[in-house]
Amino acid sequence: MDILIIGLSHKSAEIHERESVSKKLLSLESRKDFTNELLAVKDEFGRPFIKEIVVLTTCNRSEFIMSLSSWAPGKGGHVVKNYVAKYFFGDAAKEDIFYMYLNEGAVKHLFCVASSLDSMIVGEPQILGQLKVAYNEACGLKASGQLLNKLFHKAFNCAKTVRTETKVAASPVSVSYAAVELSKKIFNVLEEKKVLFLGTGEMGKLTVKHFIKYGLKNIYITNRTKEKALRFVEESFGVAEKEQLNVIDFSEYYKLLPNFDIVLCSTGSEDYVLKYEDIKPLIKIRKQRPLFLIDISMPRNIDPEINKIPNVYLFDIDDIGRMIENNMEIRNQEAEEAKKLVDIAAKEFMDWKESLNAVPVIISLRNKIKDILETELSMHIGDKNEKDLIINSLTNKILHEPTMLIKKSSSETDGVNSLKAIKALFNLDSIDLTEDENGIEKENEAARKYRLEAADNKTKIKLVK
Amino acid sequence: MLKELYLIPAFIYIFSYFIFLPKEKKIYKIFIYLIYAGFVIQSLIFFLFFDIKGLTVPVHIDRFVFFNAWILMFIAVLFGIFYKVEYILLFIAPLVAINLIIGFFVPHVLIKPVIIGAYKTILLTHIILILIGDSLFALAFIVSLIYIFQERKIKNKKNLKILNLESVSLPEAIRSGRRYNLELLDNINYQCLKIGFPFITVGIVMGIYLSAALFKIVIVAKPIEIMSLITWLIYAVLLHERMAKGLRGKKAAILSVIGFLFIIFSLSFSFYLFPSFHGLE
Repeated sequence: MDILIIGLSHKSAEIHERESVSKKLLSLESRKDFTNELLAVKDEFGRPFIKEIVVLTTCNRSEFIMSLSSWAPGKGGHVVKNYVAKYFFGDAAKEDIFYMYLNEGAVKHLFCVASSLDSMIVGEPQILGQLKVAYNEACGLKASGQLLNKLFHKAFNCAKTVRTETKVAASPVSVSYAAVELSKKIFNVLEEKKVLFLGTGEMGKLTVKHFIKYGLKNIYITNRTKEKALRFVEESFGVAEKEQLNVIDFSEYYKLLPNFDIVLCSTGSEDYVLKYEDIKPLIKIRKQRPLFLIDISMPRNIDPEINKIPNVYLFDIDDIGRMIENNMEIRNQEAEEAKKLVDIAAKEFMDWKESLNAVPVIISLRNKIKDILETELSMHIGDKNEKDLIINSLTNKILHEPTMLIKKSSSETDGVNSLKAIKALFNLDSIDLTEDENGIEKENEAARKYRLEAADNKTKIKLVK
Repeated sequence: MLKELYLIPAFIYIFSYFIFLPKEKKIYKIFIYLIYAGFVIQSLIFFLFFDIKGLTVPVHIDRFVFFNAWILMFIAVLFGIFYKVEYILLFIAPLVAINLIIGFFVPHVLIKPVIIGAYKTILLTHIILILIGDSLFALAFIVSLIYIFQERKIKNKKNLKILNLESVSLPEAIRSGRRYNLELLDNINYQCLKIGFPFITVGIVMGIYLSAALFKIVIVAKPIEIMSLITWLIYAVLLHERMAKGLRGKKAAILSVIGFLFIIFSLSFSFYLFPSFHGLE
């Protein structure tokens, strides 16, 4: 019944170590094999150690979220950790780079991961999707059961709450996104604007992709060597994206420059590509229409003096970087708030999980009392309906407080002990806390029965009144 | 009696500001609804209780102030819906509220009977045209102020925040300037100028005509006329530069601001310093 998380992320392991783990889990087939191998891990009595498992792999983390069998002590998780280290590195000594969380710690960790508080870039939205994919995959493999189902749904829920109630994801932190946002501050109908991309830089590529995603249709690319520009377009963009792209000759670009509203510069040039004298006359030809220049190259390719020309707005990598830095700070501050929400959600889940332990005891206690009353009362009351009514209402009255006590004690640390004491007190041996393989199903059934009975009783009592 | 009614929308506008203070997204919606409610009440007062045609002596100057407040709000609502820039209501509402309160406190002023008698229609048209033109320029003024501040922010790259609008409440988005884009502000400014200029031109011509009738001389260097002509000239230059040379952005915004300041000057000039020149007793 314990929840165990073993994994490694950018916080615990080096990139090559993360790589070698994620390489072994790259295909669905390999993840399936790994899941089955883990499920086959047995303890010294030959009983399976792990009951449910979800395998999560992203570029920055690989994580195995497990629910252990009820006889497996959670503290024995190092056996699994050892096994995992051997599986991936063939060397048990490597287990230091894996982290391990148990029960409440594990729940909190998973909720933090889902809410993107544990990510390299706090608040990035991909992780939730990746987690959903991992969970669906486990469902497909029938590796996820009652406990993990509930855990994951709670995690998705928690992530949503964090996203809506805090500003963790509110402020963008990528250069390309910032560039598009800045253009929106200057231009009204961004979709109709023309973009010129000078160079073939990586950051520029991402920004162009972002512009295309936003719906810009006229994007022109130029480079000193035209072949390189053509190759760059061929290699870096998808089919749909290429439709919006045109490659123009480097000799032509200055002539066409007045037509462009946004100029993106990301070349490897050592010197300024666009100079003050180039832009000054341009703005008159443009009839003072605003011109937005983005310089994301190092060293800079656009003369910073240009920013002084009216209706020309120049942003270099430092300017954008400073804004992003601000946003990073905001996100980190918000993450503190978000952690409080995570704690609350984790506590709720743990309460639910603990209350699972108490259900079988309550049921057997009720049955016991009912049996006693049944035998005693059948001597005096002939009418079966009347007898049942009395038995039920007496059972409820007698057991009301003990039931509350059992539920309460089950969520405390020494809960198992008090449950054992109650069992000993009433001689409830028919129910074993270390239940067998189908334990949870049994519990489920019992819980349902209990609820139905309770509802039934309530209506009956109302009728009598 | 009518004057007390002015206070209802004025109070709603002021009250809506307290709603705006918290950062909640839902509450912001209430703010917008309140402003619209204020406008509807204003319009109801205007259409149900107003009787501008039945102009009598003494003239209730407060009615024109109220009309000014109404047309200002009307223009702001129209532009707000047309350009999807509800946030200008945020800046217009206090102006309108001030206008309404002035309307409540303003004393009765007499207009010289000479004008009322023979030139009633022209006088009315003169007032209404000037008020519509001025209201458009007032909007241009506010939009220009936003433009100037926002432009400076972008140029200096200070306090410039980029936020994801979906997850940020609207008031915050407005404070951070996410909703303003320079091109749109400039366009609104230009539209106001284009529509307002003919109104103000015809209005001024009628004013000169009335003044000639009043003093029996066509051109006298009366302070009110000089002020109006200077104002007119500023806007004329601005419009010409925009149309012919494509003047845009900060310079145009600054000229709009100066022009509107002149309007305020000339209005207060004529009402407080030289009332007799304006046909008032």
